[in-house]
Amino acid sequence: MSQPIIEVEAVEYVYPGGDAETPALAGIDLTIAQGEYLAVIGPNGSGKTTLLKHFNALLIPTAGRVLVDGYPTAVEENLPLIRTCCGMIFQNPDNQLVATTVAEDVAFGLENMALAPAEIRRRVAESLRTLSLEHLADHPPHLLSGGEKQRVAIAGILAMRPRCLLMDEPTAMLDPVARVEVLDTVRQLHREQGITVIHVTHFPEEAARARRVLVMDRGKVVRDGPPQAVLTDLEMLHSLGLQGPVAAELAFALREDGFNPPPGIIHGRELVEFLCSSGPKH
Amino acid sequence: MSRIPAGMYIPGKSFLHRLDPLAKLIGLIILLAAVIAASSPGGYLLLILFIGVLLALSGLPFKLAIAPLRRTYLFFAVIFLMNALFFADVDPLWTWWIFSLSRTGLIQGANVVLRLAIIIVAGHILISTTSPMEITAAFRRLLKPLQYINIPVDIVALIVSVAIHFIPVLAEEVEMIRKAQTVRGARFDSTRLRDRAASLLPLVIPVFVNAFKRADELALAMEARGYRGEGRRVSGPEIAFQARDFGAVLIMAAICAVQILVL
Repeated sequence: MSQPIIEVEAVEYVYPGGDAETPALAGIDLTIAQGEYLAVIGPNGSGKTTLLKHFNALLIPTAGRVLVDGYPTAVEENLPLIRTCCGMIFQNPDNQLVATTVAEDVAFGLENMALAPAEIRRRVAESLRTLSLEHLADHPPHLLSGGEKQRVAIAGILAMRPRCLLMDEPTAMLDPVARVEVLDTVRQLHREQGITVIHVTHFPEEAARARRVLVMDRGKVVRDGPPQAVLTDLEMLHSLGLQGPVAAELAFALREDGFNPPPGIIHGRELVEFLCSSGPKH
Repeated sequence: MSRIPAGMYIPGKSFLHRLDPLAKLIGLIILLAAVIAASSPGGYLLLILFIGVLLALSGLPFKLAIAPLRRTYLFFAVIFLMNALFFADVDPLWTWWIFSLSRTGLIQGANVVLRLAIIIVAGHILISTTSPMEITAAFRRLLKPLQYINIPVDIVALIVSVAIHFIPVLAEEVEMIRKAQTVRGARFDSTRLRDRAASLLPLVIPVFVNAFKRADELALAMEARGYRGEGRRVSGPEIAFQARDFGAVLIMAAICAVQILVL
């Protein structure tokens, strides 16, 4: 395992004015290595988003500590470093764009880093090129489609050269085409630039794209493992009110009907392969 | 998007688009002075010709440039009539009840309407050829000296630009909530004033509640991108005054001088 980028040690969190008996996070220990692709799933109110907000110091643990790249998030002086290291994408693309043109929005984070204007322009251009948004540089963000807006938000984070991308249900408000567009962009960044991705999602299919899946319930991590193991444990998922990917659910049903698909099926492609190989040959 | 609201930036690469926003802003201020100084037909002719030149330089379609005038013609009509009919004059052309039409009133009305129209079109050309962010950046540079008397210019400029960005977003939301409430029986299109007033509340309250929610999320997103409310930000696009910018300001100054001294 390579160098850890995020270390979570015995973290508890109670929202201000919240009940200390039912904390939003109730004792979490976790290590995330540089270059991982981690998905976090769990029912509503299980603490997924709360945990994610600890990774770039938007929230500070009530007890325990979070280290980002070795720096504790509770120390005020570390904030600029931590926020540059871990960029965050939110659910609603409209509420995270501040500027009136795409290029200026991408520059926002860089301006906060107080970079030289020449460097800002260079990085904005580079970031827009990576996400194939150059042709939209002078456009006002509100005229873009949902998927484009979310990619602009990613471009704004990417320009800050983060090592970790935190995503809080980034596709929840997008149509299916835009959803794939955003997810493929993220996968490309993960593969080509080695960016660590932490993806909070409600969609089992999106979790299946990760290399590691975390299941949360009532402020605790109840399961942590590769998607082939976690997302096929349908009994556990169903008991939490969650579902597995369609392929996993289908494989489960096939098994109940006496068929014998191989274990660990989470992608449609894998199921198709099984079905085609076991059927009568023409 | 249902329709593009008035005063929207239209991206382009014309001479006016490329001019330093600060030069355009100073130019507009000088032009305002020239408009106020104008009083003779020759003066107005000069200004209108000049606006025509600006329009040609901006590459904007003529129809779009005068769109704000077409929307506000009623306002102009009222202003003109008020001036024409109520301007106290010793020698009225025509009187009835409290109205008195007079020569000076007519001239005064024409003056006010012409000035307003020129200012509106000039302002419209500025905001159509300059992105709101550039305008706020220009304001920031213009107001920079105020920093020395402890006015947080950077923060004010950011507030303005965020506000500008959210106008279309909120406008869309108003439209959506209006439809949602119409479905539930709100009577926005009723001709009875009482119905319309009653239907306003279910529109305004959700819009405000959502605006606050958006503000919370936006604050979080800004913080996540490293914003800490400090005045250390560098202004957006890096622009330096070039020869053409000085030229533009000088031409404006010349027009103003001619206006005051000659016409």
